[in-house]
Amino acid sequence: MSHLDEVSDAQLVTSVARYSEVALAELYRRHGGAVYGLAKRVLQNAAEAEDVTQEVFLRLWNQPDRFDPDRGSLRSFLLAQAHGRAVDAVRSSSSRRARESRDAMRTAEAPYDMQHEVWDLAVADQVAHAMGELPDEERRAIELAYFDGRTYREVARLLDQPEGTVKSRIRNGMRRMRAVLADAGIRGVDA
Amino acid sequence: MSHDEAGELLGAYALDAVDGEELTEVEAHLATCPRCRAELDTLREVAAAMGNSVEPLPEGLWSSIASRLPERDDDAEAPPMPRLASERRSPFRPPAGRTRRRRNVVAVLGAAAVAAAAVAVVLGIGLVRADDKVSGLQAAAGQTSAVHAALGAPGHTLVDLDTPSHVQLARFVVLPDGRGYLVSSSAPTLSADQTYQLWGIVGKEPISLGLLGDSPRQAAFTMAGATRPSQLSITAEPSGGSVSPTGPILATGTV
Repeated sequence: MSHLDEVSDAQLVTSVARYSEVALAELYRRHGGAVYGLAKRVLQNAAEAEDVTQEVFLRLWNQPDRFDPDRGSLRSFLLAQAHGRAVDAVRSSSSRRARESRDAMRTAEAPYDMQHEVWDLAVADQVAHAMGELPDEERRAIELAYFDGRTYREVARLLDQPEGTVKSRIRNGMRRMRAVLADAGIRGVDA
Repeated sequence: MSHDEAGELLGAYALDAVDGEELTEVEAHLATCPRCRAELDTLREVAAAMGNSVEPLPEGLWSSIASRLPERDDDAEAPPMPRLASERRSPFRPPAGRTRRRRNVVAVLGAAAVAAAAVAVVLGIGLVRADDKVSGLQAAAGQTSAVHAALGAPGHTLVDLDTPSHVQLARFVVLPDGRGYLVSSSAPTLSADQTYQLWGIVGKEPISLGLLGDSPRQAAFTMAGATRPSQLSITAEPSGGSVSPTGPILATGTV
């Protein structure tokens, strides 16, 4: 397996389906940091983020057929899984309370700064640019939903806006992001 | 939920920001609407792009994952060579939980053998649909007591069919003799030209266990033959049902 680097994600998943631990390890090497990073960002807790990361990769091992390369990249599939699990955890009331007390300890709202963490600065620049282009109310709604794990109804309450308005803002903001990222040639968003 | 209503929700859905009944409804619509699925796929890529920030991985996390992989039955072989994605199996991919099987068993049971085994399963199907008005009412009383009897019978198994987002869509009780009954369902009502269809997964092959109607409340089925399904799955199909699933799996559960 000296040429593991050259094997595509989809090929590695096929190997995982045939019980190749090496293939799973390679996928963990490629995507584990992103899975862990997103889980930690939503959960604000390293131990819980580790649990989510474990679950995501064990699930890939147990149910590799869930990934359909025709529907998108493995990275976005794994991040969607991680986000779903992190949100489930953060929505359980005890986690929410714990998170809120951690939130309270943070002094100011952190700026949208991906430079320290990202795997691909070019993409990160484009994403930060696309986020920055959004009207404030759309960006705020998307951030509360995605990074704080709130439902759009909760976002509406937090922002004191009608639910329908928040729903539309999220949808419009996401579509705007997609257009900007597609113009920038980011893979997978150009359909 | 109409196409437009579902479309309104797709942005929030891609961010996991929809819950409750709306979540079930939007997933039921997604199961039947390729256009919305395609839009969702691109919105998920947008979400992934936003969430794509890498953290250094904690030490020991991989060992912890590796230690939780089930033991290998055969330890001498090198990992199999990767195959191309285009060689994937049928488009129906049951989200099966699995344990490591002996590779020689897998090799012997090629796809053709598995398919043949599936054909050998004889399935007698008796269904009671809530919308079969007169016969349905008569059967209902008998069925309710049958469900109660099944829930009290020794060796019964409860099978919960959950959506990919962990919402329970239906619960069945299955008896050792192969009879099964719908215990409860939260599946939203489909449009009149659609029906829910129940599948038993044998090997990788889906075998129809019957139609559940557009609003499942009661159903009974019988699985005969030696090979029992490892999973039950539900799809939405055109009314009249399909020979093999045409829609994605709405919910699945391990028997």
